[in-house]
Amino acid sequence: MNYDLTPEQLSIKDNFTKFCTKEIEPRAALLDEASHEEVPGLIKENIKKMAGIGYLGIGHEEAYGGTNLDLISQAIAGEAVAAACASTFLSCGASSGLFGMPLRLFGSEEQKKKYLPGIIKGEIIGCFGLTEPEAGSDAASIKTTAVKDGDRWILNGTKTFITNANIADVAIIFAYNDRAKGPGGGVTCFLVEKGAKGFRAGKPFNKMGFRGSPTAELILEDCEVPDSAVLGTVGSGFIHAMMTLEYGRIGMATVCLGIASKCLELANKYSKERVVFGKPINRFQDISFKLADMLIMSDTARLLIYQAAWAKQINHPESAVLASVAKVWASETGKQISDLAVQIHGGYGYMKEYPVERLYRDARLGEIGEGASEIQRILIAKDLLRKHAA
Amino acid sequence: MEFGFTEEQLMFRDSVYKFAKKEIVPLVEEADLKSEFSMEVWRKLGEMGILGLPFPEELGGSGASVETCCLAGEALGHAGVDQGHLLALGAHTYLCADTIFKHGSPDQLKKYIPKLAGGEWIGCMGLTEPGAGSDAASITTAAVKKDGKWILNGTKTFITNAPVCNVCVVYATVDKALKHKGITAFIVERGFPGFSTGAPFHKMGVRASTTSEVILDNCEVPEENLLGEVGKGFEYTHETLSWDRSSLLAPFVGALQFAIEVCSKYSQERVQFGRPINAFQAIQHKLADIKIIKEAAKMVVYRVAHDKDSGKPLNHLHTSVAKSVVGDYGIKAASDAVQIFGGYGFIHEYPIERFLRDVKLAQIGGGTSEMQKFIISRILSFM
Repeated sequence: MNYDLTPEQLSIKDNFTKFCTKEIEPRAALLDEASHEEVPGLIKENIKKMAGIGYLGIGHEEAYGGTNLDLISQAIAGEAVAAACASTFLSCGASSGLFGMPLRLFGSEEQKKKYLPGIIKGEIIGCFGLTEPEAGSDAASIKTTAVKDGDRWILNGTKTFITNANIADVAIIFAYNDRAKGPGGGVTCFLVEKGAKGFRAGKPFNKMGFRGSPTAELILEDCEVPDSAVLGTVGSGFIHAMMTLEYGRIGMATVCLGIASKCLELANKYSKERVVFGKPINRFQDISFKLADMLIMSDTARLLIYQAAWAKQINHPESAVLASVAKVWASETGKQISDLAVQIHGGYGYMKEYPVERLYRDARLGEIGEGASEIQRILIAKDLLRKHAA
Repeated sequence: MEFGFTEEQLMFRDSVYKFAKKEIVPLVEEADLKSEFSMEVWRKLGEMGILGLPFPEELGGSGASVETCCLAGEALGHAGVDQGHLLALGAHTYLCADTIFKHGSPDQLKKYIPKLAGGEWIGCMGLTEPGAGSDAASITTAAVKKDGKWILNGTKTFITNAPVCNVCVVYATVDKALKHKGITAFIVERGFPGFSTGAPFHKMGVRASTTSEVILDNCEVPEENLLGEVGKGFEYTHETLSWDRSSLLAPFVGALQFAIEVCSKYSQERVQFGRPINAFQAIQHKLADIKIIKEAAKMVVYRVAHDKDSGKPLNHLHTSVAKSVVGDYGIKAASDAVQIFGGYGFIHEYPIERFLRDVKLAQIGGGTSEMQKFIISRILSFM
């Protein structure tokens, strides 16, 4: 085992932290409080800024303009971005990760050339359309259909809770082309561009947190796409989705960690400045032990994320389980940490003038997005029961 | 970063696991029930080379890294060896023998390490006193030099292995006014005049390890049994901390894996309402939680081992996080494991109730959970 970051990883941490503290963090409150009309412009600007320092290319091959960093390095950079602005992390992640990763893994040379350089430069924004109004954790129950009609496909259905839906230039859409074959062989992925006939985004949702990252429905009404829009092979869509979500889980764990580390930083700072009963509140154990708990939980989350990233990188047989483990820990402790940060700030923590108010709302998504905690636990348990049969 | 083990390490882990499962596990249930330290278990641990792992071959050890020492502890816990014998092993090898190895003179090494590494002698470490637990610098056991001998007076308490020990590393102060800078280490043999041990305590858990007071009543210690330098003892106790937070915690990581396996199996065999209880999500979630905590515990414990193996200075954040996660989350996992077993989890014949009693010690021994938070919050106050 080796827990040391490489010199390159240390400099990634340093560079991203410096850049995001200067360029992204000061805009986080602005994005959070922006109207639905203002959000698209602001978040696109942030995506551009992040693309400018190469963030959207860290998970992509050099041939398309990426830097092809390992997953631990990606987690290190991601934590820094999320600590500055969780919404920015999410929108960048939906574009270069949830959209970009399946393209990298399953796309044809032509498809990769068409989209990836633009995604990496922040000139094209992508999104990932799997979830439907009646298919969240139970993703196999999606209703969207794809019917082959000569050299084109006709898609019908509605996708919901899609990050970047209303700012995306292109979406990955999962649809049943053969329901009789079930999820294992009957789902296909399509690349659907903005402007395709019968394709539109709905109105953005009004969310509790991550308000700077727009979310909306995608509506497909006799939407027409050419045969060349099929991503990967016909019938492998569900497997493509599950493989992508493994990365997505590490990503969601990482954004929770970023939120948690920012909460700890802010609460620790505040606890040294705030004086009650004649001394700074960090001299009281009911405050200082809360800070210690925050550190214990977030520090452990970081290790579990690095472990999951390492496992995925080397295709460790337990990589899926370790991603679930990291996600449950990071999201659940992230929520607790944000709660403790608000508590340490007292009344001020409840006010929008203090960033912990936003962080608290943002943190709540962790246990829901990219597979709820309940689903993660069931995946973990099923794996254990398979391995340790009676 | 990489979080795998070498082929050689994995083979070693498997061999320890198999040996323990076959030779040691059948002996531990009765030992725990009767609160008896089993000399047979001890001999087998010695036979396997576990008691001398970190020492060089010429002193009877095998020159293992801290990481490999942790793997051994993890394998023993995973096999189902009770935490009592494993605590005895920890106190002996890492707290007593290694302190002698690190700070002893060549003569002291030659005299003590081979005996301890093979298990012929049993060692213990005496720091805690009735009035000095978390606040270890406040010990009052006094050491006075007189006629070429050191005369020790005081009482040590909660000393693991004391009732069965042949030798004890005792910490005493040469001058209370110097506070921690007066604390000095001595190698005290059972036969030295004025050395005795109290009756064993009856403990909640880790019952097969014996614990008692060490009484020093004008105890005469030859000058050559001063360990290291006068006034450096407190520093030495800090070095043992990195063992305490790595190889002494690793058996709990193994025990968590043991709990995962027995709970997985039991939940498939136990039928209620016409189906195995693992079909109920409430049980599945508990199983998953134990796995999550095991992964967390593994990651924090091996980080301390990595720090120590790479020769880094003691990182108090790392050690305190490790202790907190194993203690405070480990007890939740143990409680979930008992819950999965229901009524059977509450009785001795089933393999899980012992774990809940044992892991409680991880929140107390060698620095309470509160001390860990105190240390972490102190560091945070400077960050």
